[in-house]
Amino acid sequence: MSLRAGRLPIHERMLPVAGRLVPSTRRVDWMREWQAEFWLLRHRDGSSSVGLREALSLSYGLMADAAWLRFDWVRLSSQGSAGACLAVLLAYCLVCAGVELVLAGSWHSFARTIAGHFTGGFVFVAVPGVFAAVATYPLRPLKCGDKDPRSARMLSDRTRWSLFLSAKIGLTLTLGFLFSLVVSGPLRMVIGGKADWIELLMWVLFMTAGLRWALLNQEQRCQKCLRMLSQPTRVGPPSRNFLDWSGTELACAEGHGLLHVAEMQGSWCWYDKWVELDPTFQGLFTA
Amino acid sequence: MSPGRLSHSVAMLLKALSLGYQFGFEIMEVTGLPSGTVYPALRRLERDGLVTSHWEAEEEAFEEQRPARRYYVLTRAGKEAESAATKRYPLLSRLLPEKLVKTL
Repeated sequence: MSLRAGRLPIHERMLPVAGRLVPSTRRVDWMREWQAEFWLLRHRDGSSSVGLREALSLSYGLMADAAWLRFDWVRLSSQGSAGACLAVLLAYCLVCAGVELVLAGSWHSFARTIAGHFTGGFVFVAVPGVFAAVATYPLRPLKCGDKDPRSARMLSDRTRWSLFLSAKIGLTLTLGFLFSLVVSGPLRMVIGGKADWIELLMWVLFMTAGLRWALLNQEQRCQKCLRMLSQPTRVGPPSRNFLDWSGTELACAEGHGLLHVAEMQGSWCWYDKWVELDPTFQGLFTA
Repeated sequence: MSPGRLSHSVAMLLKALSLGYQFGFEIMEVTGLPSGTVYPALRRLERDGLVTSHWEAEEEAFEEQRPARRYYVLTRAGKEAESAATKRYPLLSRLLPEKLVKTL
């Protein structure tokens, strides 16, 4: 470490730059590990010089290592998150739209097909479907309705919950619509007008399956951070089905709360119960 | 990571670890793999539970007048993956020498 900053080899000058890529929780350990490796490089065979090729290779190694850690951190933190769910749905929609655009041949034809099928049929299936789903949806009260004063978020938990559900339903229905267009397009060339009936059947199927998935998926999310709940744990013996708690508990990985899923619905428990945990519990959940 | 999915580089890395090479630079020297391959592979193996890492005791490093290193060792699953990799790439045993002397 006696070298002046101006004379540091390129890979050692890259270390703090690459360090910025590393997630903050691992940065100190990561820098320490690489500094120990560089020390060895400086002291091997009594020679402290590193060739340009080796220095460039090490610089690339530093960046690759830091980038891998960052990507892995992003992957882990987005796993089961609301953003990742919407991003995946959007990606599928774009793929289907892309295929349909290729099949249509031009933007004009694509827009005409979309508009024609949407206003000429899909809307008549989608509107009653959404209405029926919302009308029969068991309205369990949200416990996290109020805006947390410590939170820097602009929207309350309840608003975020509703916006996410709406966006998810919208994207699921769009995906079902576009997918049925992609499938029925080639079918129409083979069987002609009969393909309309197959398309109608697909709309109903996708509508039912998509809405059911969207609502069930929403039930299995944390009411605060909208992340998928995990760590299912069996609680209570089956003999307590009628009188006491027996079912499964799912926990938010960030420690926001627990979801009690009753083995059997009863008058004391019509729907899954969300129990919000005090912020002091979060220490138990974070590594 | 199933043995069928082990690349040749990862197999070399596992072999090097099984032969007693314990930290990044040492593994790079013996395998001839660049740091851009060795470090991300070590992180991935650690994430997948094939490798575990620990910091060398400060006193030990102090005695040798150098900074403490992070050492990587194979877990039980890692040893199983290493034997599967050795079966898949039999020449690995001849490519990598057993560690005899301690690195500086």
